Order: sequence, then C-alpha cells, then structure tokens
Amino acid sequence: MRTRPLALASMLAFGPLAAAAGDRLELTGLLDVRAVYTDADTSFLNGGSGRLRFDKNHDGLRLGRALLAAKFRVSDIWTVNVVGGSYGDYDKNPLDVTEAWLEARPYPTGSVRYRVRLGAFQLPASLENRSTGWTTPYSITPSAINTWLGEEIRIVGSEFEAKWLGATHNYDGDIAFTAGAYGWNDPAGALIADRGWALTDRQSTLWGGLARPRIEFIREVDHKPGYYAGLTWRHHDRLEIRALRYDNRADPGATSTDNIAWRTQFTSLGLRWEPDDHWTVIGQSLQGWTYVGGDANSEDQYAESFRSWFVLGSYGWNSDRITLRYDHFSTRQHSGFYGAPTNDDGHALVFAYLHDFDDHWQAVGEWQQVRSGFPPRVDAGEPETINESQIQLSIRYRFSLQR
Amino acid sequence: MLESAGRCVTVAILMLALGPACAGDLQLKVTGPDGKPVAEVVATATARQAVAAPVSAAAKSRERTTAVMDQQNKTFVPQVLVIGRGTWVEFPNNDSVSHQVYSFSPPKRFQLPLYKGEVHSPLQFDRPGLVVLGCNIHDAMVGYIYVADTPYFGKTDGAGMLRLKDLPRGRYLVSIWSPRIADDGAVLSQEVELDAPGPATVEFKLRQSLRSAPQPRPHPNNWDAY
Repeated sequence: MRTRPLALASMLAFGPLAAAAGDRLELTGLLDVRAVYTDADTSFLNGGSGRLRFDKNHDGLRLGRALLAAKFRVSDIWTVNVVGGSYGDYDKNPLDVTEAWLEARPYPTGSVRYRVRLGAFQLPASLENRSTGWTTPYSITPSAINTWLGEEIRIVGSEFEAKWLGATHNYDGDIAFTAGAYGWNDPAGALIADRGWALTDRQSTLWGGLARPRIEFIREVDHKPGYYAGLTWRHHDRLEIRALRYDNRADPGATSTDNIAWRTQFTSLGLRWEPDDHWTVIGQSLQGWTYVGGDANSEDQYAESFRSWFVLGSYGWNSDRITLRYDHFSTRQHSGFYGAPTNDDGHALVFAYLHDFDDHWQAVGEWQQVRSGFPPRVDAGEPETINESQIQLSIRYRFSLQR
Repeated sequence: MLESAGRCVTVAILMLALGPACAGDLQLKVTGPDGKPVAEVVATATARQAVAAPVSAAAKSRERTTAVMDQQNKTFVPQVLVIGRGTWVEFPNNDSVSHQVYSFSPPKRFQLPLYKGEVHSPLQFDRPGLVVLGCNIHDAMVGYIYVADTPYFGKTDGAGMLRLKDLPRGRYLVSIWSPRIADDGAVLSQEVELDAPGPATVEFKLRQSLRSAPQPRPHPNNWDAY
C-alpha cells in the first residue's frame, strides 16, 4: 500500500496527463509488401478466369495489404471498431473500409454474457481468419471457403450473441449462440456462380467491388432482411466447434436499376483443435445454394449448388510456423442453362512458412497450387481445366499503439 | 480433552506470551486418485469451538493486509488467491492490454475496469466465500479469490503439502477447495484434533480424477484479435 500516496501525488501533479494516458484508442497496423512469382492464368480480378490473386501479367513486387484497424472505447461497454486500408489494385477507391461497427459488451451479471454489434462486419463463420483485419495467422492466402466469405458475404446490420460462460460453473469453456439480421447483401452469390471458387487474400471493401466487370456486394435490392444463426462451443481453449446457417432471404426475381438479387443460403461447419502449444488443426466445410431470376418452379431460374471443405495442419515453434492446407471445392448448375454449365471442380494445396523477427517484422513464404475445371472457359477459347501455381514472399511490418 | 483445551485458552488469555506453548502446527497433504500430490489446493482450518487466537494472528487482524491478483498474458496470476476476511486486494494489470475484471459472486460483486496507465484502488473482501473473477473483454480468463472465514489458511505446494503454523490447541474442521477438484461432500473436509506438541497431520485422498488445469494457449502471434 506504500504506492498509494505516491500514486495519489502523481495523479494530482499529472492529473490531465494520467487521464489521457488511458488506452482509449487502440490502433493496429500492417504493411505487407510481396515479391510474387506465378504462372497463373489472368486472374478473375483482372478480367480473366484464373483463380489466384496475381497472374503471370500481374506479378513481381506487389502491395499485399496496407491495413489500419482502430478500436475506440467510447465507454466501459461501447467500442467503435473500424478496419480499412488498401490492396493497391484497380479497385475504384484506393483506400477503403472493410469493416466498421459499434459493439456493446455489458458486464455479465450471471452465467450468460450478451454482446451486440451494429454496423458492417465479417460473418463469424471462420476459425481460420482470426487475426486483425480478418486475416489468417497460418498462411497468406486463406482457404477457398474463407476467401469466398471475405469476398461476397458482408454483414451490414446487427448481431446478437448470448454466451454461456462455463467458468461460472467450474467448466473451462463456453457455448455461444449468435444470430444476425442484415440487409445490403443481395448480390451475394453472383461471383461464385460466375467464376467458381478462388483462393486469394483479397477481401471486398464496403464501397468497392471485385472482378471485371466489377461486382459490388453491399447492395439492397428487394428490401427483405436476411439472417444467420450459429452455435460455437469452446472447450479448454483447445477445441472450438462452430456451426452456422446463413440465408440472405433475397427474392431471386427482384431487380433494381443496377443490380439483381441472388438468393444465397449455406451451412458452415468448422472445427479448430489445438492439442498442444505447437499444433493446430482446422477443418471447415461449407455447402449451399444460390438462385437468381424468375420463380422457383421455372426451368429458366438459374440454380447452383456449391460446396467446399479444407483441412489445415499447422505447427508453430519459437518464432516460426509451418502450415499445410488442402482445399477441395465444387459447384453444380442445376437449371437456367444458357451456355456451358458453371460446374466448377477443383482442389488446391497451400504450403506456408512464417517467421517472426520480432513483434513488428515478419517474413512469410507461401507456395500454392490450384487445379480447377470450369466448362465456361471453353466458350472463351480457353482449356476447361487449368493448373495454376504461385509463390509469394512477403515482408510484413506490424504495429500496435495505445493512446 | 475439552478441559485441556479450556485450560489452554485460559492460559493463553492470561499470559499471551505463552500462547505459542499451547499452539501446534497442522501438516496437510492432498493426493489425487493416482496417489500423486495435488498443488494449489486451498485449505482452511476452522476451530470447532472457541480457541484463543495466537498473538501473531491477533496482531495480524488489526493490520490492514493487502494481497495482489495480477493480470499477465490474459490470465489471472495467481489463478487461485486465498485471503483472510477483510483483506484488501490490488489488481495491478501488468498485461499489455486492458482488462475489465468483474465478479457476480455473492460475497463480492464488482466491476473494475483496468485500463493501461490508470490507477486502480484496491478492493476489500470482507465477506467469506468464493469469488469467481472474469474479464469482460477476454471471456476465457477466469480467476478465484477464496475469502477464508478463519485466520488459518493456505495453499498446497508442488508436493501437495501445506503446513499451517501456530494453531491454538483444539478441534478443527479442515476443508479443501480447488477448481480442479471434482469430488464433493465428505471427501473435502475432515475433523482433526490438535493436542500434542508435534504437528497433527491430515491427508486428503481424492477419489475422482482432477479436472484438467486451465490451459491458456499462446496465440499464434501477439497480433491476434480473436
């Protein structure tokens, strides 16, 4: 207790400074610059049908991502969170925001904790993308599933979570029920139908879009809200299992001046197992449907099912980590044929090595190989099945400030 | 027996300096069903009848005692803190991030934001019982403050042993508690008579295997948000 008078004196002397020294604002940043070598076909991001972020005409020295994440504590309970930055590509805004939300976390007064989010944020389905800015700590490129979620799915609305805190009952773990209601996600499904699955770390931004011609995903067409609901079970900080159902409840017949609504629904199941301090195993599967145009009984309505799964094994020691991941993916067109069926079939392998030099500097080497078969390529005079590989060497500078 | 204890009390009251002569130690051991020692188990010894507090304990009760429950690497350190009734506890937060510590346990309900660079007053725990601590920001954090209703308490060491010193002679109820112990009822408390000059020994043999210790896993890097 000797420190108390001292603390009191210093508070009197430096009162205004002490008040400002609290960590009301947390800023986290990342600058990721890469040397890319690839034989890939022209990427869908550049108007082609390749499935990787970069291609043989767009490689060399590239900006991976410049990212700034801000968390501002408005009160003990409310925080404002904004994630923005740049991918240094053709997108219409050189700087844009990927997520921006207001979060309330009241203190638990019983075994259940409640949490509310309002704004624009990533769907909480991934057990892989767990780092700042919804990035993965295991590799550069996330799985096909989490690539797609980062592209087409963005929640603009509200989320409610009720979590049973096991600690209050002598159990090291918890069970959370999460549900969201949202709008402005009616174009979701357009990209996976048109292109199939991809493996990139390029998320869509709130005011930007992806592919050429550009698809913008944050649009409301039919004025019908969508929902998602999920359950997460965490056991001993070692095992996490998550199930989630998403349905944007769009009217597939609805159109607006510049958009059409895609009815997209899917179920995701994921597991992350960390048996010891070194190993991480993640598995996730996602399957669903998307529909567009006319009524459900018509053969003219475009209907496509899609599914993917991946298994990731990662081993971390000291300042190093190696990761191997296998992705399998497919789509099937069931009706609404106007050309070659958009039946995607493929798989991918990713190997990554990450090394932390210190708290700020990190180097990552990643090799990936993707094989995809997609009949619409033939209409464009390309082979149906292509093999693409890409090597990325990334230097990352990361920082965290509290003000 | 009671007579001897009574005499001892009388002697202790009349001649405080002789108190220790009527006091003894209690040696305690906790083992799991596999026979291995169990560390970090809280043990309390409560007199079954009025005994004179030894001089040291009486003096202690007049002092303001302060204990520390720290926060490091998103864990409470120690995970289990045992204190006497009326003890003040400081929450210094030596972590690189903020915490919002709370409890809704009946002996002490509180909400204590621990922001970096701010000074936090200690809290007094004046009602006996178990206080479960959580963090409003990090749901996986859990800690325990066990407020003992007796001056005789402690935690077992790595060998599963604890020696409670200078207990006035008499009959005691010795109880143990740990978040890892799955047993309940009779296994967790024993009566013991402290009458000889040598230490009285009491051994707790747990029947059910221990709950696994919390295993906070280091995150892939300190940049992780989730």
